[in-house]
Amino acid sequence: MLRRFAAVIVSLLLAAADLSAQDHHEHHGHRMSSDVSGMTMNENTDRLPSECAEISGHVNLTVHAGRRHAEGRPGAMFGFSDHVFEAGPCSLVTVTLVNDDEIRHQWMIHGLPRYLYPGGMFHLETAGGTRRSGSFIVPGDARTYLVHCDMPQHMEKGMKAQLLVGGGSGDLWAVPGTSDAFRREDYLGTGDAWAALGIFIATFLAGLILLRRA
Amino acid sequence: MSRFFKHRWLLLAALVGLVASFPPQWYPDAWRIELSQWLGAPAYRALPESEPAAPRSVRAYCPEETPDYRAEYNIAGVRISASPVCQADNPWAVAAFVRGTNQVGPEVLMKSGLAPDTVEKGADLDGDGDPDEIHIRLEVAELNGASPESSEPVMQFEMAPGIKPGLWVFTPRYVGMATENFESLRAREGIRAPSPAIRVEQGDRVLITLENTHYMPHTLHLHGSDHAFRDVSGEGNDGVPIASELPIMPGQSRTYELQLRNTGTKFYHCHVQPQVHVMMGLQGLFIIEENRPDNWLQTLNIGAGHVRASSVGVRAQYDREYDLHYTDVDAELNSMIQASNDVRTVTESMHRRYDVTEATSDYFALNGLSFPFTFRESLVLTKPGERIKLRVVNGGRDGMGLHTHGHTMTVTHRDGIASPPAARVTRDVVWIAPAQRLDLELDTRNDGIGAFGPGIWLFHDHGSRAITSDGIGPGGHISAIVYEQELGPDGWPRTSGVSWDPFFTEAYYQRRLPVWEAYAPGWFGEAGSDGRLLLRIILMAFFLGLFLALLMDSARRA
Repeated sequence: MLRRFAAVIVSLLLAAADLSAQDHHEHHGHRMSSDVSGMTMNENTDRLPSECAEISGHVNLTVHAGRRHAEGRPGAMFGFSDHVFEAGPCSLVTVTLVNDDEIRHQWMIHGLPRYLYPGGMFHLETAGGTRRSGSFIVPGDARTYLVHCDMPQHMEKGMKAQLLVGGGSGDLWAVPGTSDAFRREDYLGTGDAWAALGIFIATFLAGLILLRRA
Repeated sequence: MSRFFKHRWLLLAALVGLVASFPPQWYPDAWRIELSQWLGAPAYRALPESEPAAPRSVRAYCPEETPDYRAEYNIAGVRISASPVCQADNPWAVAAFVRGTNQVGPEVLMKSGLAPDTVEKGADLDGDGDPDEIHIRLEVAELNGASPESSEPVMQFEMAPGIKPGLWVFTPRYVGMATENFESLRAREGIRAPSPAIRVEQGDRVLITLENTHYMPHTLHLHGSDHAFRDVSGEGNDGVPIASELPIMPGQSRTYELQLRNTGTKFYHCHVQPQVHVMMGLQGLFIIEENRPDNWLQTLNIGAGHVRASSVGVRAQYDREYDLHYTDVDAELNSMIQASNDVRTVTESMHRRYDVTEATSDYFALNGLSFPFTFRESLVLTKPGERIKLRVVNGGRDGMGLHTHGHTMTVTHRDGIASPPAARVTRDVVWIAPAQRLDLELDTRNDGIGAFGPGIWLFHDHGSRAITSDGIGPGGHISAIVYEQELGPDGWPRTSGVSWDPFFTEAYYQRRLPVWEAYAPGWFGEAGSDGRLLLRIILMAFFLGLFLALLMDSARRA
């Protein structure tokens, strides 16, 4: 979809106030606000999901991102300071992403209603060493939303999280500290197989001897 | 005794059945000749029918995803030449690389997808009308990597139909998602193999910041480009962990400094465990152009190889310029990043279990793609009577003998060093050692030496392996010098040989399609099985089983 920029893009400069430092665009219907330190996409502080009569409350989330947050998780390389977030139905969620690395990281949520969030997503992106805040309003039903960093391999190597709205609708797979990987290696060596074989033979022989005596 | 032969008639029948069902074609030759002298040759029996052709799904040769990229453009004051191949490079990205991503307006930047500080251009230090302070920011991306959630590779980049080996590449900084969209596993435009060709000007002050977004340590080694061993602060600047500095850990970044006194076609690559990391794709062309006035360079060239905004020096001498980056892939190595999602396991398999001294290459790419996808973008286009500059690097593990059909090539530079005119050789096969760069000149005047006239003329390594994909040909890095008059409106060359349908079918490269079926159906198809022979073998098995069972029963009774 992003490949076909030219045919579908209408670039709108929404805020003329500080053009040199900050650009606001509409891109594939996405509302983007970007500068050298990062980007916010599809921020929404006032448009309510259809089932919400009003904003029910305000949730503030401060999330750190970086390699240090993968410490203590063997085999991973990147992580968030929290991998499970909670919000009440129809609440306004403000996320502050603090990037503790020297590289880009993202906090991207998927599956939001498309009539409010083009592509169903809200997205914060931060350059290394920067922080960025943005807000969105969650729908009214109990549901679990995928949150991740979409940099290549960052989600796979630990930057996967979930937002539970109204208690959520169950855990996603492979959320660090919360749910198991769907695809898991066996971590067995050849020695382990020999040990199992040895125990099998010993049990079998012992069984034969005992049964003969009985 | 009589009990022993209780089933003697049945036993005898089983033995007769066994002998009678033995296929005559397996009798010793001498017996068969003897028998034919008594009975004559056996009756005619047709060989098995060909298997019916399996249904297959053929990809579009030219998917026409971005047809608007092909035209000539003037974007942000940058003249971008037309690139009438099927899949041309994004002209807005070209403009952003020429002007600087910090200098172009938001619309150009948006259409390029790039971050505003990917290629920052600063002051004109020598006052000749072009910027000489260049700051490039690169990240590291893994293509076709593992996932804890599925066995399908993620961030997919397809080299050829169905061929998706794990790869690592340096990439410029983009904004937003790394895939096309949330529903797609395909990597977005621009995040692809090979790593971009970097172009700077002689005398430029160049900073390259490598932001290690990957899960392994990496560095940048600027092979052949003028740089000090230590930077101004005394930090290592050569990118070699065993000699100059610690590798850049995941999540960290480092800035390398260059001020270039030399010119020429150089190279850059990661120098951490290079026997593995370079082969995974962390390598690219590094080109230093002559200092000329108003020399606005296309700092990065991503993808197809055609330089759509060449330097002043190149434009003065040549009609077109192409960067041709050859790489190869050992499926054993490149699948290791797909086999595990645990960075420790991947590290162990790639750096301890894998033995490069026993390595063989399976896939061969030109600018990241193998045939037939090379024809979507990596063609060398020309009109009769043009002079074309090719900058070639062999990024593979073995030497290659690059051969051009219908043309000769003149080697003007080796490793960026100009050959004296008297020493320039003109050949139709040029040898390129691993990591070697050759600047080649094509002269497409139809004089019977430089060129034999318009057509679709292949060029490839004449070593047999690299014209295949894992041994299936045509594959590998075959591409072509194509005269523009041979192109269709979609940029696809109007070839007049066999249908390419099989080559655009995944099954072909999985060894599941007969090679010549497309133009000689039936004749060279897959032979079916011999039902009569199979029946005889089943009967033999039956009679042998019966015979042995009876024999054992008789022995027990006795």
